[in-house]
Formats: sequence, structure tokens, C-alpha cells
Amino acid sequence: MLLGYLTLSGLDVLGVLQSKTTPEERQGYIDWLYHCQVPSGGFRGFPGTDFGPGKRNKDNEAWDPANVPATFFALVNLLILGDDLSRVKRRECLEWLPKVQRADGSFGELVGPEGSVGGPRDLRYCCCAAGIRYVLRGRSETGLEGVPDIDVLGFISFIEACQTYDGGMAESPFCESHSGHTYCAIGSLDFLRRTCNDLKPVPLLSAGSNQFEALITWLASRQTAQLEEPDEDEDEEQREVTDTGSIDNRVRGLPNVQPIGADTISCAGFNGRCNKYADTCYSFWNGATLMMLDQYSVVDEVRNRRYLLEKTQHLVGGFGKGPGDPPDLLHSYFGMVSLAFQGEVGLSPVDPTMGSSERTVRHLESLPWWQS
Amino acid sequence: MEGKYSTDPEWASVTPIDLDDGSSSGAMPLATIAYPAEYLEATSYLRAVMAANEMSERALSLTKDVISMNPAHYTVWIYRAKILFALDKDLNEELNWLNDVSLKYLKNYQIWHHRQVLLSSKAHFPTFPPKEADFLMEMFAQDSKNYHVWTYRHWLVRHFRLWDQPRELEDVEFLLKADVRNNSAWNHRYMLRFGPRDTSLPDAGMVNAGDLSTAPTEKGRLSIVDEDLIDGELKFAQEAILRAPENRSPWWYARGVLRAAGRGLAEWEGFVSGFVSEGAVKSSHAVEWLADVFAERAGKEAEAVRMLTMLKEEFDPIRKNYWDYRIRKLDQAVA
Ligand SMILES: [Zn+2]
Repeated sequence: MLLGYLTLSGLDVLGVLQSKTTPEERQGYIDWLYHCQVPSGGFRGFPGTDFGPGKRNKDNEAWDPANVPATFFALVNLLILGDDLSRVKRRECLEWLPKVQRADGSFGELVGPEGSVGGPRDLRYCCCAAGIRYVLRGRSETGLEGVPDIDVLGFISFIEACQTYDGGMAESPFCESHSGHTYCAIGSLDFLRRTCNDLKPVPLLSAGSNQFEALITWLASRQTAQLEEPDEDEDEEQREVTDTGSIDNRVRGLPNVQPIGADTISCAGFNGRCNKYADTCYSFWNGATLMMLDQYSVVDEVRNRRYLLEKTQHLVGGFGKGPGDPPDLLHSYFGMVSLAFQGEVGLSPVDPTMGSSERTVRHLESLPWWQS
Repeated sequence: MEGKYSTDPEWASVTPIDLDDGSSSGAMPLATIAYPAEYLEATSYLRAVMAANEMSERALSLTKDVISMNPAHYTVWIYRAKILFALDKDLNEELNWLNDVSLKYLKNYQIWHHRQVLLSSKAHFPTFPPKEADFLMEMFAQDSKNYHVWTYRHWLVRHFRLWDQPRELEDVEFLLKADVRNNSAWNHRYMLRFGPRDTSLPDAGMVNAGDLSTAPTEKGRLSIVDEDLIDGELKFAQEAILRAPENRSPWWYARGVLRAAGRGLAEWEGFVSGFVSEGAVKSSHAVEWLADVFAERAGKEAEAVRMLTMLKEEFDPIRKNYWDYRIRKLDQAVA
């Protein structure tokens, strides 16, 4: 489902989805996506868990479950293909969603044996769940009478608890801050605020709050000129500490930091964690989060563009993870979208939260049942 | 097709269920994957035993076969866990096998979740199996910042209440001695020192996380502060800063320690000022620290701007836009 998304959305952002695929192919893809829909609502990640018609029952349905990320990406794929979601089991899917939520507000990946919530406690599932809710619930309750909503306040509380002491967001509370999870945290909240008009202001989304400013600081700090592992002997050494003398004297004995000339650094990508090297996809995860927070302007766009085009773009096309790495689908897509955020010519504008073209989002929000 | 399973008498009673990718009814698979014949055969038998919800030895060994070909298959792990418990298998044997799989597939998260599911069983693991810590150090020897492994270790600490187990802090200090920039190890230390110990909510994280009545600004702050512990942690951070003054991790660790204690950044003003004098800067993080101290102090805004300008023009040109953002905010506050 994810590979399909990277391919379809990639073609869409390049503006060639219609010319590179035929109407029959697009219809075939739509039919395949619906083929992955689980009878009780939601989508599987791949058809491989399907036992075939007539074999599903209470005892075995845990082995062919709907999967939270797969459901989100199936919906996005359908929207990219121009489908109106009329064959989506909307009611069933929204009834399933609260069953994948835990008492602490977090989401799992699927409903496992005996109705247990399966999968790690992980912000990725939260973001996909919020995305499913945004796509299928829309701004209207029409046709959804009696369908329970997720626990929105508990959900927000869990996400807030994932902010770490350095301002970034972690997979779960007290884990290490990480740009991918930070994207998911803010994506979750952004999905909520798109449809809930009565949402209380969330500090993480409110400029000026400690939470918001610490997050911006952390995100800005992810941009780095450290592109790859230096040779062993070039590594800035860890000083052997002689703990004699007063602290003041020891500080005075340290070497001075040399000023860095702005013209000596031509490229700067992004890392995903403190003290890691840059990686193409983090230009997206950090950049998209800053887009959602409306603070993309803290990014050094020129150096990010040079990093992507001159360092990780491959001769044969596409982007690799780092300099010299072979191109792959994931890094090619996210490298390209990072450039789209900066208005690169030839790329369609991308909605940072959906991770697909703004066209896709306009299509969703124009569907009659979505609006009212 | 003649295959490993179709020719095995043990499997003769099972009718495999072929993969239905929808193509027979006109659907076109997005991202077609060319599965090897062995994988297609094994998964056709897997679907058959799953459909029958079979809990058996043969199903258990089949799951191992499928995992060896595709460890990212997300239901085979859950099914395997269910069979292990249903047949009351020796879970230590399972852990030994998992060790090998983990070392082979370093980036796979299903393996770690499976491990967590097994260790969650109070019946099998009433107390912490000490060999776990040895294995995790073996994993860290491969990649000392592996996110899945650290997340799992975090879970172990909470589940078995290991905050004060000497081994936890020893391992963190061993890893920081090897690489003082290992931010994962710094984070683990923070969790050991300041993570909530209330396990009445089995998996809630930060202090007051699930409590809606707590103001967000109060979250993460300790209600009872052990001042000696705080002082010890601040000292530990200072020593690490002296080893590598441009290392961001201990500077932010210290900020987190002060916040947990409800103490302000100004407490370190004396220490930090030693790093910043005219024409001699020993750490850019010290300049940032002073900027933050001055920004909060009435009448010191110009000093804060001077620090931020120094970062922008001399020490951190990549973040020019960010330092400008900070300067603009101060200008607005003064105006
Ligand atoms: Zn990457």
C-alpha cells in the first residue's frame, strides 16, 4: 500500500499521472484497492491475508485484520486516482476506528485476537488514524448517526505527552525525539483541527507557547551540514577530561570555537535526531512539520535545495538516502516533495499533512457527503 | 507445483489457499511484487491454517519459515505469539531464536514488538530475565542508536520497574563513554532519572499525561524534587560538556533537568558565561543558553539580541533564518 502510494503520488506531484497511465489502468488500480477492503471495514496492507470468500469467521478474523496505516494510504491512493470513495464501507470503518484506540489515547496498528489492540504504541498509527477520521468523517455527520467518535481529548493528551525535554516529539512518552514521529504528532493534531471547529487551542499548535517555541527550535536544529560519517581521524575528538582545577579554569582551558564563514557551507540537509547525519527523507519530515506550523521560513531553503540536487540526487534520476547512495522510491518521493514545498518549477503544490498534492485534498473536500 | 509443503505427508490433510490478488476479476495490483515460488507456497498453507485458526506444531514451524522469508509480514507474528502461548512453548527458546533474527534484520520493528508481547507474560516472566540486558548491549554494539531497541529497553524499565537497577545506568554510562554524542543514551538516562514511576496506569508516559485537569505547562514537572539528584545530574552534564563543548546532547539534557526540577536556566549563568567572552567563544550552545537567559530578563533584550546575532553571523550561518526569527520576536516584545 505504501509502495503504491509513493508511486501514484509521485506521478501526481510530477503532474504526469494522467499521461503516464491509461483510464483502464487507473480503474484497475481502484478495483484492486477495493479488493483490499476488509468486509468489516478498513483495508488490509496487501491481499495476502485474505482467506477468500465465505471463509471469514469470528475465530479467524484476527488473522485478516484491517490495518491502520494501510487504510489511510488506501484512502489517499483512491483520492489521488480521482475515486469518490463511494464503495468505501464508511460507517463500518469509522466504527472500527475507536476499537484500535487504547485507554491512554494512543492507537495501535490493528485489532488482534479477542479484540485486543495490536501493534506498538506509536505516533505513526495515531497520525494515520487521525487521517482516516479526517477523510471519512469530514465536516458532516450525515449518515453517521450513532457511530461513536474516537476519544479526541485522550488522543490529544497522549500526543502532548510525547514531547521530550528537548522540544521534539518521540514515538511514545519519554522515548527519544525523532523527526518522523514529530511529523506524525503534528500531523495528527492538524488533521483534527481541520474538521473540529470547537477544538480547544492546543499549545503545540499555538505560536508563543513554550511547547510550540521549543518544537520550532528543535526542528530548526535538525538542519545540518554533517552529511556523512567523517573519516575516523577527522572526527572532532572527545577530550580526555582532567578534572583537576576549578570548573572556571577548565572552561578557560578549552580551545576557542572558530567562526564559520557563510560562504564555506554550500549544502545543508536535515537529520532526524540530535547528532545524526543528514538523510534525504528528513528534508520532508522536518520541512512538512514546519509547513503545518506555518514556520517553514526558518529553513535555509537554498542550502537544502543544493543538498538534494547536488548531493543525494542520483545520476540516473531519483534520490538516495545520502550522498552516493542508490536511489529508492521512498527517498525519491520525499526528496521531490521537499523541493515542491520550496516551489520548485514543474512540481505540483503538496499538502504537508496528507502528503499528497493539494489537488487531492480539494477533490476530497468537494465530495458532497464530506462537506455537509 | 511440487513444493516443500505439497510433498510433505505432514501437510497432506491441508488444502492450501492460493493468493487472490484480484487480477482474475480485472483489478490491477499497485506495486506488483514478484514473490519467489517458495514464499507463495508457504503463504498459501499459512492462509489455510489461519483460516482454520489452527494452533499446532506444524503451524508454528510454518510461521518461522514465512518469517525467515518476510519478517515484515504483520499478521504472522501475532499468529505465532498466539500459538506459542496456546501450546505453552518454552519462551526462552523463542528468545534465543529471536536474538539471531534481530541481529539479521536490524531495522525491523515487528521483531521487537513480538519480544515485548512475550516478556509481557507475567506467568512466564514474573521477574526481569537478566540476559536481556546482555543481548541489548550486543545489539547496541551493532548500532548504538537503534531506535527500536531503545524503545524496547524503555518498555522493559517500566514493565519490570528497573529505574534503580545499577545495570541500567552502567550501560548508559558505558555507551556515553564510548560516544558522548549518543543522544539515545542521554535520553535513556533522562527517562531513568525523571520518568514517571507510577505504574497504576500501566503504560502512561509522562507525569500527568492522561490527566486532563493538569495544565500543559505543568506536565513533565516533578511533584517531589530530590535536589541532590538534580545537582548530580547537572554535574554529570557539565563534565560531558567539558569533554565535547559543541555536543548538543548534554546542553539540552541540562535544560531538561532544570525544567523537571522547576529551576530556571539562569542557575547556570555563571558556568555558561565562562564559555563566552569577547573574541573567545568555547561553545555555540553556551551563546544560545545566554541568549535564552537574557531574553527572559527585563531590560536585557539587547544583550539577548547580541548573542543571537553572534550565532547568526559567526557560529551558525545555516540557521540564519531561525536566529532572525528569534530576534524578531524580541523586537516585538520590546516594541
Ligand atoms: Zn531516510
